[in-house]
Amino acid sequence: MTLWRLEWLRLVRTPRALALAVVFLAIGLIEPVATRYASALLSHANHGAVIRLPKPTPAAALGSYVSEAAIVGLIVLVVGAASALGFDSSPGLATFFRTRVRGMWQLLAPRFTVYAVAGALGYLLGTLAAWYETHLLIGALPVAGVFAGVLCGAVYLAFAVAVTALAASLARNTVAAAGITLAILLALPLLADVRAISGWVPSALVGAPADLVAGTYQLPHYLPALGVAVVAGAGALALAVRLLQTREI
Amino acid sequence: MTEGNGAVQFSAVRLDAAGPSHPLSHLLPALPALIPVLVLLLGLDVFCLVSLVRARSVRNAPKLAWAIVILFVSAPLGAILYLFFGMDRSGGETQARPPRPAPSPTPIDPVRRVARPIGAAPPAVTTTGLTRDYGGTGLFDVDLAVPRGSIYGLVGPNGAGKTTLLSIIAGTRHADRGSVSLAVDRRRVAVCPDVPEFDGWLTAAEVVDLAGSLVAPAGHGPAEVAAALRTVGLADAASRRVSGLSRGMLQRLGLACALVGDPQLLILDEPTSALDPAGRADMLGLVAAMRGTRTVIFSSHILADVQRVADQVGILRDGRLLYEGGTRELMDTYLTPSWLVRVADGLDAVAAALAGQPWVTTVEPAEPDELKVAATSIAAGERGIPAVIAGCGARQVSCEPAAADLESAFLALTGAGEPAGLTEGARP
Repeated sequence: MTLWRLEWLRLVRTPRALALAVVFLAIGLIEPVATRYASALLSHANHGAVIRLPKPTPAAALGSYVSEAAIVGLIVLVVGAASALGFDSSPGLATFFRTRVRGMWQLLAPRFTVYAVAGALGYLLGTLAAWYETHLLIGALPVAGVFAGVLCGAVYLAFAVAVTALAASLARNTVAAAGITLAILLALPLLADVRAISGWVPSALVGAPADLVAGTYQLPHYLPALGVAVVAGAGALALAVRLLQTREI
Repeated sequence: MTEGNGAVQFSAVRLDAAGPSHPLSHLLPALPALIPVLVLLLGLDVFCLVSLVRARSVRNAPKLAWAIVILFVSAPLGAILYLFFGMDRSGGETQARPPRPAPSPTPIDPVRRVARPIGAAPPAVTTTGLTRDYGGTGLFDVDLAVPRGSIYGLVGPNGAGKTTLLSIIAGTRHADRGSVSLAVDRRRVAVCPDVPEFDGWLTAAEVVDLAGSLVAPAGHGPAEVAAALRTVGLADAASRRVSGLSRGMLQRLGLACALVGDPQLLILDEPTSALDPAGRADMLGLVAAMRGTRTVIFSSHILADVQRVADQVGILRDGRLLYEGGTRELMDTYLTPSWLVRVADGLDAVAAALAGQPWVTTVEPAEPDELKVAATSIAAGERGIPAVIAGCGARQVSCEPAAADLESAFLALTGAGEPAGLTEGARP
């Protein structure tokens, strides 16, 4: 039994893997349908009043998925990751691991990696579902744009898990760690209001998939944000290791 | 209201009865797209409901409340809420099985490794001036020396600093001042907290396997895992999920995790606190069997346990080490040895003869046919009392030590009344 297998078992023996898959899949399946039939659904909800919306586009359907996934999917991922990364929340568990590992990185690496990969796979699964529904109901999506968008989304989710690791090194409580993470991630778009750095903020990656399939931007436009997300994520992990090594049980 | 290119339009015109078809009829051509959505939502709800029905218990709310949440909270949110906050972490299906009976106490089978001589070897653990101040409480200038291969009992009332001292030795807390010196490999130090905790969805064997792989990746396998579980009496519970184990079994599991790494130094914090009398006896037997093969430091406020297995003892009070040395020497030094002597006849003659002995400090009647005799030393009393009774021609019924236990020594040493939290189970 290695720490890597432990994290795999944590995913599959607890609701984490199922919840991640279901949330992203549900959003991916539902959002294009909601986009396609928005006017009909609104009319029905308003007792037959005729409501005409712009003709749905494939990019709008994928954008609808992305915006929902960036909220609901992100919350599910962060809560699951915070409970796995917050191993100091339980003194008995903390003693078990801390007196046996050589360093905190040995403990942190599998937890970060498994959750980052699980988040990316969930996001990919949801994107494929949204792609299927969009293709069936609205129209085709560009293959390159879709996968470039998945890359941006996956990097952003990995960055979110790294921020969760940092938050778990600041707060022992799982709820507090998840709250700190979400506060940071929700505050980042405020930085994007500063024009000079708007293209460098990792939260710029959230809307990238919709822009990439719409052809508004190409992948190189997001390279600064991708670079910052990778570097800041690595920095968050390094800081988390340092803080965890000095923390007492 | 506008959206995108501003093409959103509202109209208050209601559809009349002869108007176009029902708005939802537009959805019919989209059935291939809707079926996956329905399958996912229904499948998740069905999965959660089946799990709920089969679960032995759920968390945070009654089963009926979770059923209402799953069925009536907007799909899939209700099901996801149940998955995260309601489903038992050990998995509903496994909990649905009738609970297995607690494992019968498997005979303790301590695996003795290569014996290491105690003799002239340097202490396994030495602390010098160890201080950790929590604002008036904590540890202050503790100089500890734990002989290699000894069973070292750390005694003190609640709040005396036992756990702090053990945590600093284990490396999970830092000292403000002073130093800890280990004469053993840091990787061969195992720690058992007083409340061991493990991930509830692992089995007992998996937990021990994980513990072994972390400290000795190449030196353990299924045989070592099974041996460790057998040693602590959990062989029958190897495949049970941790969430289904009692607290006493968790304490045994914690010890198995420590033993699987073949530690040179074993630190046990209150190892018997959650065990029933039989479990306590097993645990103490196991600890006693390690004498000479491993160095064991264990803390306890149950003095009878310490007296039974520890050959060295350290007494902490208010963060200060009041005594360190042999358990027997402690009682010899701080107790006035006394015995309860019962004779069948000639009680007055025996009392007078004893009172005339230079090594006797007091003689007083305890019962109509019993005397309480105090002596200057244990050796003098053990040799002299039978001889005096025989010299008087009296028939001795019994002669037993009176309150020569660690608790009495502790009270004599500290000069205190019965300390809170220190007397539970202390009387033999």
